[in-house]
Amino acid sequence: MSSMGKQAQQRMAVLQGTLDMLILRTLLYGPAHGHQIGKHIQRTTNDFLQMQHGSLYPALHRLERRGWVISKWETAPDRNREFKYYRLTKEGRKQLTVEESQWKRMAEAVARVMWPATPSTEES
Amino acid sequence: MRWWQIRKRDADLERELRSDLELEEEEQRESGLSPQEARYAARRAFGNPTLIRERTRETWGWASLERLWQDLRYALRQLRGTPAFTVTAVLILALGIGAVTAVFSLIDAALLKMLPVKNPEQLVQFKNISPTFPINDAFSYPALGTMSQQSQVLAGVLGFRKLYNIDFEVDGQSGLAQGQLVSGTYFSVLGVKAIRGRTILPADESVAGPNPVAVIGYDYWRSRFGLDPGIVGKKILLNNAPFTIVGVTEPEFYGVQPGAKIDVSVPLTTMVLVNPGFAAAGTQYDVLKAPMRNWLYVMGRLQPGVSREKATASLQPVFTELKREAVASLAGEPVDSPALRQAVLDGRLQLDPASQGLATLREQFSKPLWVLMAVVALLLLITCANVANLQLARANAREREIAVRLAIGAGKFRLMRQLITESVLLGVIGGALGVALAYWGSGSLLALMAQGRSPVSLRVHPDLTVLAFALAVSLLTALVFGTIPAWRSTDVNPSHALAQNARSSTSPRQRHGLGKALVVLQVAVSLVLVVGAGLLTRSLSNLREYYPGFNRDNVLLFHVDPPIIGTKDVVPLYQQLLSRLREIPGVRSASLSVHEPLSTNVSDSSVKVQGPSARKGEDLAPVDIEPIGPDYFATMETPVVRGREFQVGDRAGAPEVAVVNQSMARHFFGDADPIGRFVSIPAYRGDTNWMQIVGEVRDVKVHDLRESPTLMLYVPMWQAPEGGATFEVRTAIDPANVQTGVLGAVKSIESRLPIYSVKSLDDQLDDSLVEERLVGSLSSTFGMLALLLTCIGLYGLMAYTVNRRTGEIGIRMALGAQRSRIARMILRETFVLVLCGLVIGVPAALLASRLIAAQLFGLKPGDPLTFLAACAVMAAVTITASYIPAHRAASVDPMRALRSE
Repeated sequence: MSSMGKQAQQRMAVLQGTLDMLILRTLLYGPAHGHQIGKHIQRTTNDFLQMQHGSLYPALHRLERRGWVISKWETAPDRNREFKYYRLTKEGRKQLTVEESQWKRMAEAVARVMWPATPSTEES
Repeated sequence: MRWWQIRKRDADLERELRSDLELEEEEQRESGLSPQEARYAARRAFGNPTLIRERTRETWGWASLERLWQDLRYALRQLRGTPAFTVTAVLILALGIGAVTAVFSLIDAALLKMLPVKNPEQLVQFKNISPTFPINDAFSYPALGTMSQQSQVLAGVLGFRKLYNIDFEVDGQSGLAQGQLVSGTYFSVLGVKAIRGRTILPADESVAGPNPVAVIGYDYWRSRFGLDPGIVGKKILLNNAPFTIVGVTEPEFYGVQPGAKIDVSVPLTTMVLVNPGFAAAGTQYDVLKAPMRNWLYVMGRLQPGVSREKATASLQPVFTELKREAVASLAGEPVDSPALRQAVLDGRLQLDPASQGLATLREQFSKPLWVLMAVVALLLLITCANVANLQLARANAREREIAVRLAIGAGKFRLMRQLITESVLLGVIGGALGVALAYWGSGSLLALMAQGRSPVSLRVHPDLTVLAFALAVSLLTALVFGTIPAWRSTDVNPSHALAQNARSSTSPRQRHGLGKALVVLQVAVSLVLVVGAGLLTRSLSNLREYYPGFNRDNVLLFHVDPPIIGTKDVVPLYQQLLSRLREIPGVRSASLSVHEPLSTNVSDSSVKVQGPSARKGEDLAPVDIEPIGPDYFATMETPVVRGREFQVGDRAGAPEVAVVNQSMARHFFGDADPIGRFVSIPAYRGDTNWMQIVGEVRDVKVHDLRESPTLMLYVPMWQAPEGGATFEVRTAIDPANVQTGVLGAVKSIESRLPIYSVKSLDDQLDDSLVEERLVGSLSSTFGMLALLLTCIGLYGLMAYTVNRRTGEIGIRMALGAQRSRIARMILRETFVLVLCGLVIGVPAALLASRLIAAQLFGLKPGDPLTFLAACAVMAAVTITASYIPAHRAASVDPMRALRSE
C-alpha cells in the first residue's frame, strides 16, 4: 500500500506542471465536469496519458482556489442529473497562454539538448 | 475558511466524486458490461475515492489542522479508554507542573515583575558608593532638591522614606499603619494616579501648612474604611497630628518596594509632625536643611534617549559639589575629622536600574527562590521520566494495535504524531490542573514568606506571564516524555509483531533497557533532591539549636512607642512599667532595649576611644549602638565576661557609662582590659561626653544567626533615652501564659499606649529564619514527592517485568526453582537498578550541594552523614516498593503460567 502511494506521488509530480495546462486547454472548448475532462485528455492523446483521478480532482480544486476556473452544479444535457461543471475564467485564459508559452520554450530547450544534430533555423 | 465551510465543501466534493463515478459506471454499462462488472470497472478506472478526497482536501490548505483535530479526538478516545493510566499520568504531571508554576509565580511576583507604573524601565535608583562606608542609598533633602533641577538628563526626581508602625487614628479609633513620606513629585514622576480625589502634588510639599494632606492606599481604603465613598476630605490623626485625606491611589500600586505595604503617604515636609524628634526642626540637624543628614531614598526618571551611563557622568560633578557642601557643614561638629571628611568626599554617585523597584525583597528572597526553582525543575524531570515510563508500558500493551495500523498502511510519522498528540493532550490537561494547584500552593508559600520580621505583602495571581510559562512547561514536558516512547513504539516490524504472540515480540530487551534507564535516572535525580533536602533541613535545625549568646526560651517581647501618644519623657513611664512587670506572677525579670533581639534595624555610628586605639583610622569602623535598661543581660542570660552590667543607678546625672562586647573590646583594646577606658559616640549622640566602660559581655547575634560578630556598644537607656522600646520579659513558665497579665499591666499604667509585635523570643528567632524555613520545608516536601514518584516508577517497571516474564518464571519453577529464589531474583534486579541510580546520583548530589553551600549552616556541602542517610533511605524505600512485584513473582503458579503461554 505504501509503495503504491509512492508511485502515484512520483507520477503526479511529473504531471503536475502540465496537468493544469491540459485542464485549462480542455476547458477552452466550454464548460465540462471532471469526468469529461479526464476522458477528453485520455481520448485526445489516444490513451497515451492515463488520467489519474487521484491527481485530476486535486488539480481542479487547486485551479479553482487560484481563481482560474469556477464551478457550478448544472444538469447535463444528455443525462437527467446534475454534475459539477468547471468553466474557464478570464484569469484562467491568461494563465493558459502563459503556461503554453512556457511549455513551448521548455519543449524547445529539451529538444535542443536531446537532439543537438538537428539543425535549427532559429540559431544565429 | 471556518470549519462549517470545510464541512460543506467536504459534502460538495463527495457529491462531485459520486456523480462522476456513477457516470463512469453508466458508460461502462452502456458499452455492454453487466451492472456488476460495470461497477467494478468504474471503481478500477477511478481509483481509491478516499485517497482522492484526502488529496483534494490537502489543496484546500486546511488538511493539517483537520488532521490535528482528528488526532486530538482520537487521543481523547484513547485516554478515555485507559482511565487508570490517564488519571495517574495527569496527577503526576499536575504535581510536577504545579510545583514549577507555583515557584515561578513567586519568582515572577518577587523578582521579575516591573513596578506597576508608567515606563518603569526609565527609572533609576540613586546610590552613594564609597570605598570607606558600606553602600549607602540614602540622600539628604537639599541633595534631592539639587538633583531635581538636573532636567537635561532627568525627566523627574522623587524622594521618599518609609514610616514604620504609625498610629492612624480615625473617628477616635487608633490603628497601626505602614506609611511613607514622599516628595511632591513622587506620584507624578512615577505616573501613578488616584482613583478617588487626587495624589500628593508638589504644592503640598512647599508648606507643612496648618492642615497637611494624606493619600491612602486602595487596600487600606478597603480594609479600614470599607471603600467609603466619602473618603476624600476625611480628617485623621497620624501619630496625633491632624491630616486630611485627599485621595486614594490605584489598586495596583503598592509603593516602589515590592512586598512592602503602604497604607498612607504624606508629604516629606510633615516629618516635623509625625516624628518631631527625628525632624529636629530649628536645630542645625534639621532634616529639611542639614546637608549631612541622609535620610531619603531617591529615584529618578531618565529623559527619553538618555542612558544610565550618560546620566551618571552628567550628575557626578553635581554630586561632588553636594559632597563639598556637606563636608563644609561638618565644621565645628564633634564628629569632624580629616578622615571622615575624606571618606565623605570619596563617595561616588551610582544610578541603578529601578524598573522593579527597590531591591530589598529581591535581595532577601532571590537566592532561596532560585534554589527552589532548581529543586522543582529536578522534580519536573522525575515527573517526565515517570510518565515516559508509564507511556512505554502502555505502548507495549498497544503493540498489536500499532502493528495493525502500520500493516494497513499508516505512515510511521503519522503514527508518531498521533502518539505525541496524546502526550501533548496529557501534558495540557496535567498543566491545567497544575495551574490550579500552583495557585493554591503559591498562596500558602506567600503566607510562609510573610512570616518574616519585615512584613511581606505580595500579590500573586495567575496572570498572563505565569499562564504562558505553565503552558510552555506543559508542552515541553509533553515533548520530553512523549517523543522517546512514541519513537520506540512505532519502531515495530508489523509482520513480526503480528505473527508472534504479542507478549514476546519485537526487541523487548532494547525497550526494556529504556524503561530501566528512566528508572535509574529517577533514582539519581531523587537522590540529589533528598540529599539537598537533608542538608537544608539539617542546616535549619543547626540554626535553631545554635546558641546566639542569649537564652531563647521563655522570653516574651513587645514593643511600645510612647511618643506616638504624645509622651515626651519616656524614662519615668519605662521605669514604672518595668517595676510593674516584675510583680506579675511567673515573671522572673524584665528589661528593655531600643531594638528587639535579632532586629533588622541598625543604628551604627563611629566611635572615639580615649588614648591609643588598636590601629590608626580604626575609629571610623561602624559600631552598633544599643541603649538598654538595667538587668538587660541578666534577663537575656547573656554572660558578663568582665565588670558589671547597667544598674538602676546608671541614670541621668550619674557618671556616664558603657558596656562593650568581646569583639569591640578586642577591636579597640586588643588583649588589654577595656574596663575603665573611655569612649564617646559624637556622631550618634551629638556630644563628645566620655563614657567609662564598666563591663564586657559575650558576643551575641544582633541581626541574624549567620552574621559574623558585630562590634557592639551598649549604653544605659536612662542616660540616652530614645522614643520607642522593646521590652524583654523573662518568665518562669511558657510566655504565652503570662502574656495576658503582661499586656494588662501595660494597659493599667497607660491605657492609650498601643502595643506592637507581641511575640516570644523563640518565635522571633524562627521569624528571622524565614528564608531557611521556606527552602527547608519546601525542599523536603519536594524531596519526599520525588521519592514517592520514583517508587511508583520502580514499582511500575518491576510489576510490568514480572507480568511479562510470567512464562519464564513458570518454566523456572517447573524446573525446580524455589519461590524465595524467584523473589530474590526480582529484588536483585531492583537493587542493581537502585545501585546504578545511586552511583550516578552521589557525584551529581555532591556537585549540587556545592551550589547551595552558602545556604548551609554548621555542616559541609559533602556532609557524609547526610549522604549516607539519603542513600540508605533511597535504597530502603525503593526496595520496599518492589517487594510487591517480587512477592507476586514468587507466587506465580507454574501450571497456569505455562498453560497461558
